Amino acid sequence: MNANNKIGNSTFAFKTAWQRYGTLGILILLLTILAALKPGYFFQPSTVTQILSQSSVNILIALGEFFAILIAGIDLSVGSVTALSGMVTAKLMVAGIAPLPAVILGILLGAILGFINGILVNGTGLHPFIITLGTQAIFRGITLIISDSSAIFGFPASFTTFMAKRFIYIPVSAFIALVAALVLAFLTNKTKLGRNIYALGGNKESAWYSGINVKLHTLIVFIISGICAGIAGAVLLGRVGSAEPAAATGFETYAIAAAIIGGTSFFGGKGKIFGVVMGGLIIGVINFGMNLLSVSSTLQQVVMGALIIGSVTLDRFVAGNK
Amino acid sequence: MQPLVIMKDVKKQFPGVTALDGISFDIMPGEVHVLLGENGAGKSTLMKILSGVHKPTDGQIIIGGSEFTALTPKDSRSCGISVIYQELSVINELSIQENLFVGNLPVKNIGPMKIVDYKKMREATQMLLGKVGLRKDPETAVEELSISEKQQVEIAKALAADSRILIMDEPTTSLTSSEVSHLFAVIRELKKEGHGIVFISHKLGEIMEIGDRVTVLKDGRYVGTKKISDVTQDDLVTMMVGRQISKNYQHPSADYSDAPVIFEVRNLSRKDGKVKNVSFKLRRGEILGFSGLVGSGRSEMMNSIFGAEPKACGEILIDGKEVRTSAPFYSIKSGLAMVTENRRETGFFHNFSIKKNISVLPFIKQSSFAGITGLVSDKNEDIWADEQKKNLNIKCYSTEQGITELSGGNQQKVILGKWLAADSQIIIFDEPTKGIDVGSKGEIYALMRRLADEGKGILVVSSELPELLAVCDTIAVFREGEIVAVFPHKEATEEKIIAASTAEKGEGNRP
Repeated sequence: MNANNKIGNSTFAFKTAWQRYGTLGILILLLTILAALKPGYFFQPSTVTQILSQSSVNILIALGEFFAILIAGIDLSVGSVTALSGMVTAKLMVAGIAPLPAVILGILLGAILGFINGILVNGTGLHPFIITLGTQAIFRGITLIISDSSAIFGFPASFTTFMAKRFIYIPVSAFIALVAALVLAFLTNKTKLGRNIYALGGNKESAWYSGINVKLHTLIVFIISGICAGIAGAVLLGRVGSAEPAAATGFETYAIAAAIIGGTSFFGGKGKIFGVVMGGLIIGVINFGMNLLSVSSTLQQVVMGALIIGSVTLDRFVAGNK
Repeated sequence: MQPLVIMKDVKKQFPGVTALDGISFDIMPGEVHVLLGENGAGKSTLMKILSGVHKPTDGQIIIGGSEFTALTPKDSRSCGISVIYQELSVINELSIQENLFVGNLPVKNIGPMKIVDYKKMREATQMLLGKVGLRKDPETAVEELSISEKQQVEIAKALAADSRILIMDEPTTSLTSSEVSHLFAVIRELKKEGHGIVFISHKLGEIMEIGDRVTVLKDGRYVGTKKISDVTQDDLVTMMVGRQISKNYQHPSADYSDAPVIFEVRNLSRKDGKVKNVSFKLRRGEILGFSGLVGSGRSEMMNSIFGAEPKACGEILIDGKEVRTSAPFYSIKSGLAMVTENRRETGFFHNFSIKKNISVLPFIKQSSFAGITGLVSDKNEDIWADEQKKNLNIKCYSTEQGITELSGGNQQKVILGKWLAADSQIIIFDEPTKGIDVGSKGEIYALMRRLADEGKGILVVSSELPELLAVCDTIAVFREGEIVAVFPHKEATEEKIIAASTAEKGEGNRP
């Protein structure tokens, strides 16, 4: 009905502002709360370093997850892809291959794993949830097999020192996440490929009738997700200093949470890279804050879960989407 | 006789807009009261007040002697009001009988326990199905039924709930003409039993056939209530739109037989047999329409021509040259366009603004590899959107507006706009005015004619014969996957077309 179209301008303006900057607002609010609770610890340069370093891996994985959710799908295998490509990168480095080619090969492996996800989704016609639930287990299993279920360490010094570098308290990992975010923001906002992905996420049938190759775009989306997880794998190696077979277990939950908190619609077609980065930072700040406030790790899980439900409910309530 | 329902001077105010401005409406037992008006006129709002979805801002509702200022959905049900919406609310996974009695299952006692009395339910269902003329076993799963059969179940469900007043919101939209006459037979039976029926429809022919009285609304205001026997279709159109719309869109003396062939289909067949060896030609300036019953293969043929669904064999030629149409991407590149039957499902992107809905097509068409290479140009995007807004008279305050905020007619214009922005040469319209109000229909028809005059090829599939007769220069009749008759506009009549589309094999004029 017409009646619903003509909402007051102020409501409209608020909605737009909320959609654009709502997550930034939440982030600032959280930081303020932390600063008020623990001013002594909070106002230290190392706080920035810690939050950014903890958030980087999560943001990188979430950036890929964002695309999977954008096409109304999901990628549950990102944690396993992170672990497997990290493990392979580690093995290559330990075997004497220089860090840079080793990392590139690891990222390439991430792309291949994403490609496998995409091919399976397209070929079977099953929902990505089912496919990636399966590949999550398969990729994790392969990680365990090739690592013999034990950690790999002893990377070249050039790798560990580079990854530990800081520029004005900002860790290298944060720069990597930033570059990835910028590249993907360009992809979503400025390229036809990005526009097509949004279209596909909004309506697969309309996309097909508009000449969009649905399967090709689905494949590309899963490859992007795999590449992001592959990069995250390398970054995680640098942070932890070793490749654990159980690394990044459950990280898909944080990635999904970051995307959703950042305003990505679970029904597809809506969301922004900026929001995903904000979502990843919010999760990072909450994790950091809870450690700072000495909240037990078990309780942290409860808080995180409540946060996911709460933020999405709030978003739907504010945005008024039915 | 006492009216079943009286609505007096009902007003409904939404923030910033008056949806209903003092509407009076009543329903007598044993009558079909038609509610007529363009989209946005307030029909649905008025009926939602009656079904308890909306609270009126002002006014009175009197049902069976009791007075209400507002109804809750529960009040509405207990007063015997049932709504049969366009989107049916039957539960596909349940059987017919369970659908009829869901929430109110007949029970019997076995000792201290109450269990469902299937025997009683079955008998009651059989009785109700008899009333609505549906010959199906009560235990049939609803998902196995056709849309019209589901609608019959829905009516039976209203009867099972002992409803005296049935509100039918555009009940014939998805029905074939034989199903419509069946529905009308059921409605006549219900009238005899003293039910009051509110019939919402855009289709004037149907209204004249089934209605007893008609109330016309326009922009939330009450225009008038008339006996159907006292008005003509033209009167109703005038009441609805406040102006007479011209009836035909063909050029009276046009002859296209010497015009160049701009589009041709040769020997098109589908593996599933829904299209069998179809060939036809379209000449410059001509609008070619396809009639036929739902399921006769018209839409399937168009989908195969456009490449959205596979074809087994056949050639598609534009300006005499064969073009590749194995997927929509290639068809688009060749200059084909398809305005699909369901805007929401296969037409637009609900998550996109008007502008983005328009630009998606030219962006893809200009891209070389699979439509994915290249950047989006904000400048071009603005130009395309503004051009089409002006060209097609799309009513919006900004092209940044979400497409879901527009009326059906304007949404359809945006979809057409995306194809024109991509400079499509041959445009297929599948049910171009489905769910669009009378005023916008006229606009769409005029647009189709204008495009044909400009040299675009226009193909139209429609289940509404008056539509084809008003727009097309040539009408081809489809039956069981074949073209069984072709009528030039001057020879075409509803009777001839219906005869050809329903005739047994072997009859009818071969093209």
